[in-house]
Formats: sequence, structure tokens, C-alpha cells
Amino acid sequence: MIRLEGVSKRYPNGTEALRDLDLHIGPAEFVFVVGSSGAGKSTLNRLLIREELPSSGRVVVDGEDIVRMRRSRVPYLRRKVGVVFQDFKLLKTKTVAENVAFALLVTGHSGREVRGETERVLSLVGLSQRRDHFPRELSGGEQQRTAIARALVNRPKVLIADEPTGNLDPVTTWEIIKLLVRVQEMGTTLLVATHNAEIVNALRRRVVHLDHGQLIRDEREGLYAA
Amino acid sequence: MRRLAYVVGAAWQGFWRNPVMSVASTLTVSLMLLLFAFFTMTDRGLQAAVAVLESKVEIAVYLADDARPSDVLELRERISNDPAVAEVSYVSREQAMERLREIASRRPDLQLEEIGQNPLPASLEVKLAKAQEARRVSGMLRDEMGRGLITDVDDNPSVVDKLLTITRVLSIGGLAVLAMMLFVALFVIVNTIRIAVHARRDEIEIMKLVGATDWFVRWPFVLEGMLVGALGAIVALGAILAVAGPVSSALVGFLDVVPVSFGPEFIGQLVAGIFGFALLVGAGGATLSVRNHLAK
Repeated sequence: MIRLEGVSKRYPNGTEALRDLDLHIGPAEFVFVVGSSGAGKSTLNRLLIREELPSSGRVVVDGEDIVRMRRSRVPYLRRKVGVVFQDFKLLKTKTVAENVAFALLVTGHSGREVRGETERVLSLVGLSQRRDHFPRELSGGEQQRTAIARALVNRPKVLIADEPTGNLDPVTTWEIIKLLVRVQEMGTTLLVATHNAEIVNALRRRVVHLDHGQLIRDEREGLYAA
Repeated sequence: MRRLAYVVGAAWQGFWRNPVMSVASTLTVSLMLLLFAFFTMTDRGLQAAVAVLESKVEIAVYLADDARPSDVLELRERISNDPAVAEVSYVSREQAMERLREIASRRPDLQLEEIGQNPLPASLEVKLAKAQEARRVSGMLRDEMGRGLITDVDDNPSVVDKLLTITRVLSIGGLAVLAMMLFVALFVIVNTIRIAVHARRDEIEIMKLVGATDWFVRWPFVLEGMLVGALGAIVALGAILAVAGPVSSALVGFLDVVPVSFGPEFIGQLVAGIFGFALLVGAGGATLSVRNHLAK
């Protein structure tokens, strides 16, 4: 599903965010990306949605070389790769349902599709009852579930979560992680960048460890630290 | 349908989110369009005036009494071949006398005394296709004076010359003023839309993140720019309509002389021109201001 070959990223200020990274992630895999701040996790995420281009190397997502991809094709890549952030990035003036429907609306879906798919993902994340609430009326966990619903509503093949539980308490963190596992079990490739050792150690999934832009560990059923 | 509703709704919201700025840019666009209309109409009037005067520019070439007919024919042929010349006609001495008598019969103050012989010379009357060439053609003919065939050359192109200069200055000046106004209008629209873009930057970020195409992001703003343009056009046309009555009655005398028509066809072209121009400026300005946000 995702293949990186010899990927390096050097920013104009000279920072080397990634160094000669090779990585292969199969369909419906669940991968934790760990490493200290500045290890290159966020850069990896940005490369996968083509918010950044690598300085060298190849990035292939779902069979498509996204480095050589035409700019006009990028929106279609992003419909295949959903993203969830630590700060949720919800629109404050829209309700839960409107936030989710927005992703369908702006990608050109018809009214009937928008209604049907919105209800589907809202019930998947367990927010059908809260559909008409505004983000400020929700708990952090509910806000993150709304963001996940929005990322899933276009039926992406890959879901990238960048510190999805960074702002959440331990109980809510578990809710979100369980939800992400369910999403993976339904066939989506999951890439979760995290600092939370507890969940990584409890889940025993594949762990990709980055340090100073280099891959230093890739374990099938790994722990947070070696 | 829902997509269209979203785009139109977002554009309308954008317009009213900052009414002062929107109204200011609408008025700027109106002012630019008024200037555009004013110059178009003035230019059309002057063009018509020039055309009328041009058709009246003639050069009279007086011929020696003892000129040989073959020489006269050859000269006439030569003048006709000049691309600036529309028509050359020969006026014999008798015809010239006849004309003089006719003029005199309508003017009782002019008493034509019968004299024994006809004092008027024969001439070639040169009508020009291009009035601005009058000076060159008459100069060329004057050079031939004193060779026995041409005795004198009479022209009066100075009025046309002046009018042509005025038209040229007005066209260039008008174009310069219009270009300046266009720049100001674009500047104001770009900034109006930039405020709208800024107000919706979160929405734009999400749109790009979930895979909206550039056009989907751009459309609401382009539409808002076109809305500003269209409203500006309506205001400008309203103002033109309001002053059209008094101005045209004041111009009636002038319009009688010059066959310039502001008929339905011209009005249609003007309205279409104003709207087209306005929409183009609005859409262009908006596109410019969204561009930065789409660069990534």
C-alpha cells in the first residue's frame, strides 16, 4: 500500500528530516511510528499526502508514484489518504454532522450520498446522538472521533493519525485507540505516530522507530522502546 | 445542486462578511466602468466627427490654361493611383464658371458682372480616402508647380489634422486613465477577496486536506469577485441611465451635424462590454488573491 525507497528530505534551512528511508507497509496493516520530536514522523506524514516533496527517493501510495504525480491529481490522492491530527482541526461554526459532511460536499458528492455516508461514519464512531452539537460542546474524545469520522467518510485506503491521543486523558485515549483498531480491522491501512508508550506496548503491533530521520528499528510485534 | 448551493452560499456569505470593503470595491469597479463607458462613447462620437470631416477634405489642383489634354489625363491617372486618394474628377473652365453662376444666383449680395472671357482655370478635384494623407498628397502636387501644368494647389486639411490629433490624444489619454483605473480596481478586489480568503483559511485548509480540487476551493471566491463586478456594472449602468437623458438633449445640436448613432445596437454592445469587463476584472482579481493559498 505504501512504499518508500531511499527517501530523504532536506529542508531549505538545512535540517535533514529524513535520511535514506526505506519502508514498505502492506494493505490493512497497523503501524505505530515512534521516535522523539524531530525524528521525522511529521515529515513522513506530510510526504504521504504530498504536502511536501522528498529531496530524493520514491514515494508510492496505492501503486502510484506520488512524487512524479501531476499537481492536479493530488486532491484524488488525498481522498485515498485520510489524516487525523492532535488538534482535531474541526470547523467551529459547523456541527458534528456538518463537519463530516463537509469532506463529502467539497469532493463533489451528491446530496443523497452525503446524507447516507455521513450517518454511516457517525454511527461507526458512535456519535449519531451528538450529530447536531458544535465542537465546543464536545469532549476532547468526541472531537477526535468527529475528526476520525471526517477522515473516514471518503472511504480512504490509508488513515494517518498524527499524535491522535496527544491531548486526551488515558481513558479517552483507549477509546480512540480501540476505534482506530476497528477501522484497521475493516480493511484500512493505519499509520499512527505517537509518543504514548503504554498503548504501543499494550497493542503489540508493528513498530517503526525513527531517530534523526533514520529508520533504526522495524519490529513486527514491537514495543515502544527496544 | 448541493455543490452549487455551497459555492453560491459561500460567495454570498463572503460578500457580506465585510460589507464596507465589498461596497468600496463595488464602487471602485463602478467608477472604472463609468470611465470605460465615457471613453467608449466619446471615442465613438469623435470617430464619427472625423469621418464626416474626412469625407469633406478635398484638394483642388488648378491647371494651366494651355495644358495639353494628354498631360492632364496622365496627371489624373497618376493621382488616382495614390492609395490615399478616393476619387479624382476633372472640372473644366466652363463647369467652374457654371458653378460660380449657381452660387451667385443664391447669393443676392454677390453681383456677377458679365465679362467677356472666363477667368476661371480648369482643375482636378481630389477626394481623399485617408484624410491624414492630405498634407503629403498636396505637398507632392505642389512640387510639380511651375512645370507648366499645375498652377496652384489648394487644400484645407488643418481642421482634420487638429481633430485627428485630439482623437489620438484622447484615445491614448483615455487608455492610460483606464489602465490606471483597472489597476486600482484589481488592487481593491484582490484585497477584498484576500480578506474573505483569510476569514475562511481554516475551511480552505480542511478542503485541501480532504481532497477538494483547486477549482472547488477557488470557485466561491471567483464568484464573489464576479458578484462585486456585476454589482459595479449595475451601479455604473444606473448612473449612465440617470444622466443619459439630460446629456443627450444637450448634445442634440452636435449629434445633428455628426451622424453618430447611439442606437440599440450600440447600447447593447456597451452593456455587454461593461458587464463582460466587470466580470472579468472581478474573477481575475479573485483568482489572483486565492493563488497563494493554492500554491502548496
